[in-house]
Amino acid sequence: MLELKDLTFTAPEDDGAPARTIIDHVSYTFEKGLFYAVTGPNGSGKTTLAKLVMGILPAESGKILLDGTDITEFSISERSRAGIAYGFQNSARFKGTTFRDLLSIAAGTDDEEELVRIIARVGICSLDFLDKPVDAKLSGGEIKKIELATVIARNPRVAIYDEPDTGIDLWTIEPMVDLLKREQESFGTTTIVVSHNKTFLEAADRLLLIKGGKIAYEGKLPEADSLLADLSACNYTTICEGEDNAGCYR
Amino acid sequence: MLDAIDKELLRSVADLEGIPKGAYNIRKNGKLLGREVSANIEIDAHPDQEGIMVRIAPGTINESVHIPVILSQAGLHDVVYNTFIIGEGADVTIVAGCGIHCGGSKSEGHEGIHEFRVEKNARVRYVEKHVAIGPGKGKRILNPTTRVFMAENAWAEMELTQLGGVDEAFRVNEATLSAGSSLMISERVMTEGDQTASSENRLFLEGDGSRANMVSRSVLKGTSRQDLKVNLVAKARCFGHIECDAILMDRAINKTMPALEALHSDAELTHEASIGKIADDQLMKLMSLGLDYDDAVNRIIQAFLK
Repeated sequence: MLELKDLTFTAPEDDGAPARTIIDHVSYTFEKGLFYAVTGPNGSGKTTLAKLVMGILPAESGKILLDGTDITEFSISERSRAGIAYGFQNSARFKGTTFRDLLSIAAGTDDEEELVRIIARVGICSLDFLDKPVDAKLSGGEIKKIELATVIARNPRVAIYDEPDTGIDLWTIEPMVDLLKREQESFGTTTIVVSHNKTFLEAADRLLLIKGGKIAYEGKLPEADSLLADLSACNYTTICEGEDNAGCYR
Repeated sequence: MLDAIDKELLRSVADLEGIPKGAYNIRKNGKLLGREVSANIEIDAHPDQEGIMVRIAPGTINESVHIPVILSQAGLHDVVYNTFIIGEGADVTIVAGCGIHCGGSKSEGHEGIHEFRVEKNARVRYVEKHVAIGPGKGKRILNPTTRVFMAENAWAEMELTQLGGVDEAFRVNEATLSAGSSLMISERVMTEGDQTASSENRLFLEGDGSRANMVSRSVLKGTSRQDLKVNLVAKARCFGHIECDAILMDRAINKTMPALEALHSDAELTHEASIGKIADDQLMKLMSLGLDYDDAVNRIIQAFLK
Protein backbone atom coordinates (compact mmCIF):
# COMPACT_ATOMS: atom_id res chain seq x y z
CA MET A 1 0.00 0.00 0.00
CA LEU A 2 1.34 3.38 -1.03
CA GLU A 3 -0.12 6.41 0.74
CA LEU A 4 0.23 10.02 -0.29
CA LYS A 5 -0.74 12.43 2.45
CA ASP A 6 -1.31 16.08 1.63
CA LEU A 7 1.55 16.01 -0.86
CA THR A 8 2.62 19.33 -2.37
CA PHE A 9 5.30 20.31 -4.80
CA THR A 10 6.06 23.79 -6.10
CA ALA A 11 8.41 24.33 -9.00
CA PRO A 12 10.79 27.17 -8.12
CA GLU A 13 11.15 30.34 -10.13
CA ASP A 14 12.96 29.61 -13.34
CA ASP A 15 14.42 32.13 -15.74
CA GLY A 16 11.81 34.77 -14.99
CA ALA A 17 8.90 32.33 -14.77
CA PRO A 18 7.25 32.56 -11.36
CA ALA A 19 7.14 29.68 -8.89
CA ARG A 20 4.21 27.38 -9.66
CA THR A 21 2.44 24.75 -7.58
CA ILE A 22 2.46 21.56 -9.63
CA ILE A 23 1.07 19.12 -7.05
CA ASP A 24 -1.41 20.73 -4.74
CA HIS A 25 -2.12 18.96 -1.44
CA VAL A 26 -2.78 15.54 -2.98
CA SER A 27 -3.84 12.69 -0.72
CA TYR A 28 -4.45 9.24 -2.13
CA THR A 29 -3.92 5.57 -1.28
CA PHE A 30 -2.76 3.11 -3.92
CA GLU A 31 -3.99 -0.33 -2.88
CA LYS A 32 -1.61 -3.26 -3.04
CA GLY A 33 -1.69 -5.25 -6.26
CA LEU A 34 -3.94 -2.98 -8.30
CA PHE A 35 -3.22 -1.47 -11.72
CA TYR A 36 -3.55 2.30 -11.82
CA ALA A 37 -3.53 4.58 -14.84
CA VAL A 38 -2.67 8.20 -14.11
CA THR A 39 -3.74 10.56 -16.85
CA GLY A 40 -4.47 14.20 -17.40
CA PRO A 41 -3.71 17.15 -19.62
CA ASN A 42 -0.14 18.08 -20.44
CA GLY A 43 1.36 19.98 -17.55
CA SER A 44 -1.28 18.76 -15.10
CA GLY A 45 1.30 17.27 -12.75
CA LYS A 46 1.01 13.53 -13.39
CA THR A 47 4.72 12.93 -14.13
CA THR A 48 5.64 15.19 -11.22
CA LEU A 49 3.48 13.03 -8.97
CA ALA A 50 5.32 9.91 -10.17
CA LYS A 51 8.70 11.58 -9.61
CA LEU A 52 7.72 12.62 -6.09
CA VAL A 53 6.90 8.99 -5.26
CA MET A 54 10.30 7.83 -6.59
CA GLY A 55 12.16 10.67 -4.86
CA ILE A 56 13.39 12.17 -8.11
CA LEU A 57 11.75 15.39 -6.97
CA PRO A 58 11.57 16.35 -3.28
CA ALA A 59 8.17 16.90 -1.68
CA GLU A 60 7.68 20.42 -0.42
CA SER A 61 5.24 19.20 2.20
CA GLY A 62 3.17 16.15 2.98
CA LYS A 63 4.14 12.53 3.45
CA ILE A 64 4.64 9.37 1.43
CA LEU A 65 4.20 6.02 3.19
CA LEU A 66 5.04 2.62 1.77
CA ASP A 67 3.36 -0.20 3.67
CA GLY A 68 3.25 2.07 6.71
CA THR A 69 6.87 3.23 6.54
CA ASP A 70 7.42 6.94 6.05
CA ILE A 71 9.69 7.19 3.02
CA THR A 72 9.28 10.94 2.44
CA GLU A 73 12.91 11.64 3.31
CA PHE A 74 14.30 8.54 1.57
CA SER A 75 16.69 9.05 -1.36
CA ILE A 76 15.98 7.49 -4.76
CA SER A 77 18.30 4.59 -3.88
CA GLU A 78 16.59 4.00 -0.54
CA ARG A 79 13.14 4.02 -2.13
CA SER A 80 14.37 1.57 -4.72
CA ARG A 81 15.66 -0.73 -2.01
CA ALA A 82 12.35 -0.29 -0.15
CA GLY A 83 10.55 -1.74 -3.17
CA ILE A 84 9.68 1.07 -5.58
CA ALA A 85 10.82 0.79 -9.19
CA TYR A 86 10.57 3.44 -11.88
CA GLY A 87 10.46 3.18 -15.66
CA PHE A 88 11.63 6.47 -17.13
CA GLN A 89 9.81 8.08 -20.02
CA ASN A 90 13.08 8.97 -21.72
CA SER A 91 15.51 6.23 -20.86
CA ALA A 92 19.10 7.15 -20.10
CA ARG A 93 21.67 6.31 -22.76
CA PHE A 94 25.17 5.39 -21.69
CA LYS A 95 28.60 4.85 -23.21
CA GLY A 96 30.13 1.50 -22.43
CA THR A 97 27.29 0.27 -20.23
CA THR A 98 25.53 -2.79 -21.59
CA PHE A 99 22.07 -4.14 -20.98
CA ARG A 100 23.71 -6.95 -18.99
CA ASP A 101 25.33 -4.35 -16.71
CA LEU A 102 22.01 -2.65 -15.98
CA LEU A 103 20.11 -5.87 -15.60
CA SER A 104 22.71 -7.31 -13.22
CA ILE A 105 22.48 -4.21 -11.04
CA ALA A 106 18.69 -4.33 -11.11
CA ALA A 107 18.49 -8.05 -10.34
CA GLY A 108 21.33 -8.00 -7.83
CA THR A 109 23.01 -10.91 -9.60
CA ASP A 110 25.05 -11.54 -12.71
CA ASP A 111 23.96 -15.15 -12.91
CA GLU A 112 23.17 -15.62 -16.57
CA GLU A 113 20.38 -18.13 -16.07
CA GLU A 114 18.58 -15.69 -13.80
CA LEU A 115 19.08 -12.84 -16.27
CA VAL A 116 17.73 -14.98 -19.09
CA ARG A 117 14.63 -15.77 -17.04
CA ILE A 118 14.05 -12.03 -16.58
CA ILE A 119 14.50 -11.09 -20.23
CA ALA A 120 12.17 -13.90 -21.25
CA ARG A 121 9.48 -12.19 -19.17
CA VAL A 122 9.72 -9.09 -21.38
CA GLY A 123 9.81 -11.14 -24.56
CA ILE A 124 13.52 -10.96 -25.35
CA CYS A 125 14.70 -14.31 -26.64
CA SER A 126 18.17 -13.47 -27.88
CA LEU A 127 21.08 -13.87 -25.48
CA ASP A 128 23.08 -11.49 -27.69
CA PHE A 129 20.69 -8.75 -26.69
CA LEU A 130 22.15 -8.87 -23.17
CA ASP A 131 25.46 -7.55 -24.44
CA LYS A 132 24.00 -4.65 -26.39
CA PRO A 133 25.41 -1.30 -25.33
CA VAL A 134 22.67 0.89 -23.89
CA ASP A 135 23.64 3.79 -26.13
CA ALA A 136 22.13 6.16 -28.63
CA LYS A 137 22.13 3.50 -31.35
CA LEU A 138 19.28 1.52 -29.77
CA SER A 139 15.84 1.89 -31.32
CA GLY A 140 12.91 3.22 -29.31
CA GLY A 141 11.47 -0.27 -28.98
CA GLU A 142 14.78 -1.77 -27.83
CA ILE A 143 15.44 0.85 -25.16
CA LYS A 144 11.87 0.50 -23.91
CA LYS A 145 12.31 -3.26 -23.49
CA ILE A 146 15.48 -2.61 -21.52
CA GLU A 147 13.65 -0.08 -19.35
CA LEU A 148 10.85 -2.55 -18.65
CA ALA A 149 13.25 -5.40 -17.96
CA THR A 150 15.22 -3.40 -15.41
CA VAL A 151 12.01 -2.44 -13.63
CA ILE A 152 10.61 -5.96 -13.38
CA ALA A 153 14.05 -7.32 -12.43
CA ARG A 154 13.70 -5.38 -9.18
CA ASN A 155 10.65 -7.48 -8.28
CA PRO A 156 9.15 -4.28 -6.95
CA ARG A 157 6.26 -3.85 -4.59
CA VAL A 158 5.31 -0.71 -6.52
CA ALA A 159 6.20 -0.30 -10.19
CA ILE A 160 5.82 3.15 -11.74
CA TYR A 161 5.97 3.57 -15.51
CA ASP A 162 6.10 7.11 -16.87
CA GLU A 163 4.59 7.23 -20.38
CA PRO A 164 5.88 3.75 -21.26
CA ASP A 165 4.53 4.01 -24.80
CA THR A 166 6.87 6.90 -25.67
CA GLY A 167 8.98 6.09 -28.70
CA ILE A 168 7.37 2.77 -29.59
CA ASP A 169 4.98 1.87 -32.38
CA LEU A 170 1.29 1.34 -31.82
CA TRP A 171 1.56 -2.41 -32.39
CA THR A 172 3.90 -2.85 -29.43
CA ILE A 173 1.53 -1.30 -26.92
CA GLU A 174 -0.85 -4.27 -26.52
CA PRO A 175 1.98 -6.71 -25.67
CA MET A 176 3.39 -4.15 -23.25
CA VAL A 177 0.06 -3.84 -21.49
CA ASP A 178 -0.18 -7.64 -21.35
CA LEU A 179 3.28 -7.78 -19.79
CA LEU A 180 2.49 -5.22 -17.11
CA LYS A 181 -0.82 -6.95 -16.31
CA ARG A 182 0.94 -10.31 -16.12
CA GLU A 183 3.54 -8.92 -13.72
CA GLN A 184 0.82 -7.28 -11.66
CA GLU A 185 -1.20 -10.47 -11.40
CA SER A 186 1.69 -12.91 -10.94
CA PHE A 187 3.59 -10.95 -8.33
CA GLY A 188 0.95 -8.73 -6.80
CA THR A 189 2.82 -5.66 -8.03
CA THR A 190 1.08 -2.37 -7.42
CA THR A 191 1.37 -0.90 -10.91
CA ILE A 192 1.10 2.81 -11.68
CA VAL A 193 1.22 3.85 -15.32
CA VAL A 194 1.33 7.50 -16.33
CA SER A 195 -0.17 7.61 -19.80
CA HIS A 196 -2.61 9.14 -22.23
CA ASN A 197 -2.90 5.92 -24.12
CA LYS A 198 -6.37 4.41 -24.24
CA THR A 199 -5.01 0.86 -24.08
CA PHE A 200 -3.35 1.48 -20.73
CA LEU A 201 -6.38 3.37 -19.46
CA GLU A 202 -8.65 0.48 -20.40
CA ALA A 203 -6.36 -2.04 -18.73
CA ALA A 204 -6.34 -0.22 -15.42
CA ASP A 205 -8.30 -1.26 -12.35
CA ARG A 206 -8.48 2.40 -11.36
CA LEU A 207 -8.07 5.61 -13.27
CA LEU A 208 -6.71 8.81 -11.73
CA LEU A 209 -7.28 12.01 -13.63
CA ILE A 210 -4.93 14.80 -12.57
CA LYS A 211 -5.86 18.38 -13.38
CA GLY A 212 -4.19 21.48 -12.02
CA GLY A 213 -2.13 19.48 -9.58
CA LYS A 214 -5.13 17.79 -7.95
CA ILE A 215 -6.91 14.49 -8.44
CA ALA A 216 -9.97 15.49 -10.45
CA TYR A 217 -11.38 11.99 -10.76
CA GLU A 218 -10.70 8.54 -9.35
CA GLY A 219 -12.58 5.47 -10.50
CA LYS A 220 -13.31 3.31 -13.51
CA LEU A 221 -12.63 4.36 -17.07
CA PRO A 222 -16.18 4.29 -18.47
CA GLU A 223 -17.40 6.78 -15.91
CA ALA A 224 -14.53 9.11 -16.83
CA ASP A 225 -15.36 9.29 -20.52
CA SER A 226 -16.88 12.74 -20.41
CA LEU A 227 -13.94 14.12 -18.42
CA LEU A 228 -11.45 12.53 -20.76
CA ALA A 229 -13.21 13.97 -23.78
CA ASP A 230 -12.08 17.38 -22.55
CA LEU A 231 -8.50 16.23 -23.01
CA SER A 232 -8.95 15.13 -26.57
CA ALA A 233 -7.53 18.30 -28.12
CA CYS A 234 -4.17 17.13 -29.35
CA ASN A 235 -1.11 19.29 -28.84
CA TYR A 236 1.10 16.98 -30.83
CA THR A 237 -0.39 17.06 -34.30
CA THR A 238 2.86 18.30 -35.78
CA ILE A 239 4.98 15.47 -34.43
CA CYS A 240 2.43 12.63 -34.27
CA GLU A 241 2.99 9.80 -36.72
CA GLY A 242 -0.47 10.64 -38.06
CA GLU A 243 -2.45 7.47 -37.50
CA ASP A 244 -6.13 8.21 -37.96
CA ASN A 245 -7.03 6.54 -34.73
CA ALA A 246 -4.07 6.43 -32.43
CA GLY A 247 -6.32 5.56 -29.51
CA CYS A 248 -4.96 8.44 -27.56
CA TYR A 249 -6.76 10.64 -25.06
CA ARG A 250 -4.30 13.44 -25.43
CA MET B 1 63.43 -13.57 -9.56
CA LEU B 2 60.21 -11.64 -9.22
CA ASP B 3 59.52 -9.99 -5.88
CA ALA B 4 56.06 -9.12 -4.56
CA ILE B 5 56.08 -5.63 -6.11
CA ASP B 6 57.19 -7.03 -9.47
CA LYS B 7 54.35 -9.52 -9.36
CA GLU B 8 51.83 -6.83 -8.52
CA LEU B 9 53.07 -4.64 -11.36
CA LEU B 10 53.02 -7.52 -13.83
CA ARG B 11 49.52 -8.40 -12.80
CA SER B 12 48.42 -4.79 -13.29
CA VAL B 13 50.03 -4.13 -16.65
CA ALA B 14 49.89 -7.50 -18.34
CA ASP B 15 47.39 -9.59 -16.36
CA LEU B 16 50.25 -11.92 -15.53
CA GLU B 17 50.45 -13.90 -12.32
CA GLY B 18 54.14 -14.63 -12.91
CA ILE B 19 56.38 -15.48 -15.82
CA PRO B 20 54.20 -15.79 -18.94
CA LYS B 21 53.97 -18.75 -21.27
CA GLY B 22 55.24 -18.38 -24.81
CA ALA B 23 57.51 -15.61 -25.99
CA TYR B 24 58.26 -12.80 -23.59
CA ASN B 25 60.73 -10.12 -22.65
CA ILE B 26 60.54 -8.61 -19.19
CA ARG B 27 62.52 -5.48 -18.49
CA LYS B 28 63.08 -4.29 -14.93
CA ASN B 29 64.77 -1.04 -13.96
CA GLY B 30 66.39 -0.66 -17.37
CA LYS B 31 67.76 -4.20 -17.54
CA LEU B 32 66.64 -7.48 -18.97
CA LEU B 33 64.95 -9.60 -16.33
CA GLY B 34 63.94 -12.51 -18.51
CA ARG B 35 63.37 -13.50 -22.11
CA GLU B 36 61.93 -16.47 -23.94
CA VAL B 37 61.45 -16.94 -27.66
CA SER B 38 59.38 -19.43 -29.59
CA ALA B 39 59.75 -21.23 -32.90
CA ASN B 40 57.95 -18.38 -34.66
CA ILE B 41 58.85 -15.40 -32.52
CA GLU B 42 62.39 -14.08 -32.22
CA ILE B 43 63.38 -11.44 -29.70
CA ASP B 44 66.84 -9.85 -29.95
CA ALA B 45 68.56 -6.79 -28.61
CA HIS B 46 67.90 -3.79 -30.85
CA PRO B 47 70.94 -3.39 -33.17
CA ASP B 48 71.04 0.40 -32.96
CA GLN B 49 69.56 1.46 -29.67
CA GLU B 50 68.52 0.33 -26.21
CA GLY B 51 65.57 -1.97 -26.66
CA ILE B 52 64.46 -5.07 -28.53
CA MET B 53 63.58 -6.30 -32.01
CA VAL B 54 60.65 -8.67 -32.10
CA ARG B 55 60.26 -10.60 -35.34
CA ILE B 56 57.15 -12.64 -35.87
CA ALA B 57 57.46 -15.13 -38.68
CA PRO B 58 55.03 -14.93 -41.60
CA GLY B 59 51.96 -17.09 -41.08
CA THR B 60 52.28 -17.29 -37.29
CA ILE B 61 48.77 -17.78 -35.97
CA ASN B 62 47.33 -17.38 -32.47
CA GLU B 63 50.59 -16.71 -30.66
CA SER B 64 51.29 -13.96 -28.21
CA VAL B 65 54.27 -11.96 -26.97
CA HIS B 66 54.47 -10.29 -23.59
CA ILE B 67 56.92 -7.42 -23.20
CA PRO B 68 56.15 -5.71 -19.89
CA VAL B 69 58.43 -3.15 -18.29
CA ILE B 70 58.58 -2.64 -14.55
CA LEU B 71 60.26 0.18 -12.69
CA SER B 72 60.91 0.49 -8.99
CA GLN B 73 64.26 2.29 -8.85
CA ALA B 74 64.09 5.86 -7.56
CA GLY B 75 65.42 8.45 -9.98
CA LEU B 76 65.50 6.12 -12.99
CA HIS B 77 64.20 7.40 -16.33
CA ASP B 78 64.25 4.47 -18.67
CA VAL B 79 64.15 5.01 -22.44
CA VAL B 80 63.62 2.03 -24.70
CA TYR B 81 63.18 1.55 -28.44
CA ASN B 82 61.27 -1.55 -29.45
CA THR B 83 60.57 -2.62 -33.01
CA PHE B 84 58.01 -5.25 -33.96
CA ILE B 85 57.87 -6.85 -37.37
CA ILE B 86 54.70 -8.84 -37.86
CA GLY B 87 55.25 -11.13 -40.83
CA GLU B 88 52.89 -11.54 -43.76
CA GLY B 89 49.68 -13.34 -42.87
CA ALA B 90 50.50 -13.61 -39.17
CA ASP B 91 47.80 -13.17 -36.54
CA VAL B 92 49.20 -12.41 -33.09
CA THR B 93 48.66 -10.55 -29.82
CA ILE B 94 51.31 -8.35 -28.25
CA VAL B 95 50.88 -7.42 -24.61
CA ALA B 96 53.01 -4.52 -23.46
CA GLY B 97 52.73 -2.05 -20.64
CA CYS B 98 54.69 -0.35 -17.98
CA GLY B 99 54.24 -0.48 -14.26
CA ILE B 100 55.98 1.97 -11.95
CA HIS B 101 56.34 1.51 -8.24
CA CYS B 102 57.47 4.69 -6.58
CA GLY B 103 58.64 4.32 -3.02
CA GLY B 104 60.61 7.56 -2.49
CA SER B 105 60.75 11.23 -3.29
CA LYS B 106 62.63 10.98 -6.59
CA SER B 107 60.74 10.78 -9.84
CA GLU B 108 60.67 7.66 -12.01
CA GLY B 109 59.86 7.50 -15.67
CA HIS B 110 59.67 5.36 -18.75
CA GLU B 111 59.68 6.29 -22.40
CA GLY B 112 58.78 3.41 -24.67
CA ILE B 113 59.15 4.15 -28.36
CA HIS B 114 57.41 1.33 -30.20
CA GLU B 115 57.48 0.85 -33.93
CA PHE B 116 55.22 -1.69 -35.61
CA ARG B 117 55.64 -2.93 -39.13
CA VAL B 118 52.55 -4.91 -39.94
CA GLU B 119 53.17 -6.75 -43.18
CA LYS B 120 50.65 -7.69 -45.88
CA ASN B 121 47.52 -9.44 -44.62
CA ALA B 122 48.94 -9.63 -41.10
CA ARG B 123 46.80 -9.00 -38.04
CA VAL B 124 47.99 -7.77 -34.68
CA ARG B 125 46.24 -6.94 -31.47
CA TYR B 126 48.34 -4.71 -29.25
CA VAL B 127 47.38 -4.27 -25.61
CA GLU B 128 49.24 -1.67 -23.55
CA LYS B 129 48.49 -0.74 -19.97
CA HIS B 130 50.21 1.88 -17.89
CA VAL B 131 49.92 1.96 -14.13
CA ALA B 132 51.81 3.54 -11.27
CA ILE B 133 51.60 2.60 -7.63
CA GLY B 134 53.54 3.05 -4.40
CA PRO B 135 53.57 5.38 -1.42
CA GLY B 136 56.43 7.62 -2.65
CA LYS B 137 55.99 11.30 -3.47
CA GLY B 138 58.24 11.23 -6.54
CA LYS B 139 56.59 11.90 -9.88
CA ARG B 140 55.68 8.92 -12.03
CA ILE B 141 56.14 9.79 -15.67
CA LEU B 142 55.20 7.72 -18.72
CA ASN B 143 55.78 9.00 -22.24
CA PRO B 144 54.96 6.33 -24.82
CA THR B 145 55.31 6.73 -28.55
CA THR B 146 53.71 4.28 -30.96
CA ARG B 147 54.42 4.31 -34.68
CA VAL B 148 52.53 1.91 -36.91
CA PHE B 149 53.24 1.17 -40.55
CA MET B 150 50.57 -0.96 -42.13
CA ALA B 151 51.07 -2.77 -45.41
CA GLU B 152 48.28 -3.75 -47.77
CA ASN B 153 45.31 -5.39 -46.10
CA ALA B 154 47.00 -5.41 -42.72
CA TRP B 155 44.83 -5.13 -39.63
CA ALA B 156 45.71 -3.76 -36.22
CA GLU B 157 43.80 -3.11 -33.05
CA MET B 158 45.50 -1.14 -30.29
CA GLU B 159 44.12 -0.91 -26.78
CA LEU B 160 45.97 1.76 -24.84
CA THR B 161 45.05 2.18 -21.20
CA GLN B 162 46.25 4.38 -18.36
CA LEU B 163 44.04 4.08 -15.32
CA GLY B 164 45.45 6.12 -12.50
CA GLY B 165 48.64 6.71 -10.62
CA VAL B 166 50.60 8.33 -13.45
CA ASP B 167 51.48 11.95 -12.71
CA GLU B 168 52.58 13.00 -16.17
CA ALA B 169 52.02 11.34 -19.50
CA PHE B 170 52.76 12.53 -22.98
CA ARG B 171 51.68 10.03 -25.59
CA VAL B 172 52.22 10.13 -29.34
CA ASN B 173 50.50 7.72 -31.72
CA GLU B 174 51.28 7.81 -35.42
CA ALA B 175 50.10 5.47 -38.14
CA THR B 176 50.41 5.16 -41.88
CA LEU B 177 47.88 2.95 -43.61
CA SER B 178 48.29 1.34 -47.03
CA ALA B 179 45.50 0.12 -49.28
CA GLY B 180 42.90 -2.09 -47.63
CA SER B 181 44.46 -1.84 -44.20
CA SER B 182 42.47 -1.23 -41.09
CA LEU B 183 43.43 0.32 -37.75
CA MET B 184 41.39 0.65 -34.60
CA ILE B 185 42.85 2.58 -31.66
CA SER B 186 41.04 2.72 -28.37
CA GLU B 187 42.59 4.88 -25.69
CA ARG B 188 41.33 5.02 -22.12
CA VAL B 189 42.83 7.42 -19.65
CA MET B 190 41.89 8.30 -16.11
CA THR B 191 43.63 11.10 -14.24
CA GLU B 192 43.14 12.37 -10.72
CA GLY B 193 44.71 14.82 -8.29
CA ASP B 194 46.88 17.23 -10.25
CA GLN B 195 47.97 14.69 -12.86
CA THR B 196 48.31 15.67 -16.50
CA ALA B 197 48.00 13.53 -19.61
CA SER B 198 48.42 14.56 -23.19
CA SER B 199 47.83 12.45 -26.26
CA GLU B 200 48.74 13.45 -29.81
CA ASN B 201 47.60 11.25 -32.66
CA ARG B 202 48.36 11.54 -36.33
CA LEU B 203 46.82 8.94 -38.61
CA PHE B 204 47.58 9.01 -42.34
CA LEU B 205 45.20 7.09 -44.58
CA GLU B 206 47.31 6.70 -47.70
CA GLY B 207 45.84 3.69 -49.47
CA ASP B 208 42.50 3.12 -51.18
CA GLY B 209 40.05 1.31 -48.97
CA SER B 210 42.01 1.95 -45.79
CA ARG B 211 40.07 2.49 -42.57
CA ALA B 212 41.00 4.09 -39.27
CA ASN B 213 38.88 4.43 -36.19
CA MET B 214 40.04 6.14 -33.02
CA VAL B 215 37.98 5.98 -29.84
CA SER B 216 39.14 7.94 -26.83
CA ARG B 217 37.50 7.79 -23.44
CA SER B 218 38.77 10.03 -20.67
CA VAL B 219 37.80 10.42 -17.05
CA LEU B 220 39.23 13.39 -15.18
CA LYS B 221 39.03 13.81 -11.43
CA GLY B 222 40.40 16.34 -8.95
CA THR B 223 42.24 19.19 -10.66
CA SER B 224 43.75 16.97 -13.33
CA ARG B 225 44.05 17.94 -16.97
CA GLN B 226 43.99 15.99 -20.20
CA ASP B 227 44.62 17.20 -23.73
CA LEU B 228 43.78 15.14 -26.76
CA LYS B 229 44.62 15.92 -30.37
CA VAL B 230 43.68 13.60 -33.19
CA ASN B 231 44.50 14.38 -36.80
CA LEU B 232 43.04 12.15 -39.46
CA VAL B 233 44.65 12.84 -42.81
CA ALA B 234 43.07 11.15 -45.82
CA LYS B 235 45.13 10.88 -48.97
CA ALA B 236 43.02 8.25 -50.74
CA ARG B 237 39.51 6.84 -51.03
CA CYS B 238 39.21 5.80 -47.40
CA PHE B 239 37.16 5.93 -44.24
CA GLY B 240 38.12 7.46 -40.93
CA HIS B 241 36.26 8.14 -37.73
CA ILE B 242 37.17 9.78 -34.42
CA GLU B 243 35.09 9.43 -31.28
CA CYS B 244 36.27 11.27 -28.17
CA ASP B 245 34.37 11.47 -24.92
CA ALA B 246 35.52 12.94 -21.66
CA ILE B 247 33.82 12.85 -18.29
CA LEU B 248 34.77 15.77 -16.09
CA MET B 249 34.56 15.51 -12.32
CA ASP B 250 35.45 17.92 -9.54
CA ARG B 251 37.51 20.80 -11.05
CA ALA B 252 39.29 18.90 -13.81
CA ILE B 253 39.76 20.40 -17.26
CA ASN B 254 40.02 18.94 -20.73
CA LYS B 255 40.89 20.06 -24.22
CA THR B 256 39.85 17.82 -27.10
CA MET B 257 40.72 18.63 -30.68
CA PRO B 258 39.65 16.18 -33.35
CA ALA B 259 40.76 17.32 -36.80
CA LEU B 260 39.83 15.90 -40.18
CA GLU B 261 41.83 16.57 -43.31
CA ALA B 262 40.54 15.22 -46.61
CA LEU B 263 43.19 15.46 -49.31
CA HIS B 264 41.23 13.16 -51.59
CA SER B 265 37.75 13.84 -52.89
CA ASP B 266 36.48 10.32 -52.11
CA ALA B 267 37.58 10.38 -48.50
CA GLU B 268 34.91 9.89 -45.88
CA LEU B 269 35.85 11.28 -42.47
CA THR B 270 33.65 11.79 -39.43
CA HIS B 271 34.10 12.72 -35.82
CA GLU B 272 32.08 13.06 -32.66
CA ALA B 273 33.30 14.56 -29.42
CA SER B 274 31.77 15.31 -26.07
CA ILE B 275 33.02 16.72 -22.77
CA GLY B 276 30.89 17.01 -19.66
CA LYS B 277 29.80 15.77 -16.29
CA ILE B 278 28.07 12.43 -15.84
CA ALA B 279 24.53 12.95 -17.09
CA ASP B 280 21.88 13.20 -14.38
CA ASP B 281 19.59 10.77 -16.18
CA GLN B 282 22.33 8.11 -16.05
CA LEU B 283 22.84 8.62 -12.31
CA MET B 284 19.12 8.58 -11.63
CA LYS B 285 18.65 5.40 -13.60
CA LEU B 286 21.28 3.55 -11.60
CA MET B 287 20.05 4.99 -8.30
CA SER B 288 16.54 3.86 -9.21
CA LEU B 289 18.03 0.37 -9.46
CA GLY B 290 19.19 0.59 -5.84
CA LEU B 291 22.74 1.94 -6.12
CA ASP B 292 23.89 4.78 -3.89
CA TYR B 293 25.17 7.93 -5.61
CA ASP B 294 28.87 7.02 -5.27
CA ASP B 295 28.30 3.45 -6.47
CA ALA B 296 26.35 4.78 -9.43
CA VAL B 297 29.21 7.14 -10.36
CA ASN B 298 31.75 4.31 -10.10
CA ARG B 299 29.69 1.93 -12.21
CA ILE B 300 29.23 4.54 -14.93
CA ILE B 301 32.96 5.32 -15.00
CA GLN B 302 34.01 1.67 -14.94
CA ALA B 303 31.76 0.88 -17.88
CA PHE B 304 32.85 4.02 -19.73
CA LEU B 305 36.50 2.98 -19.43
CA LYS B 306 35.89 -0.73 -19.99
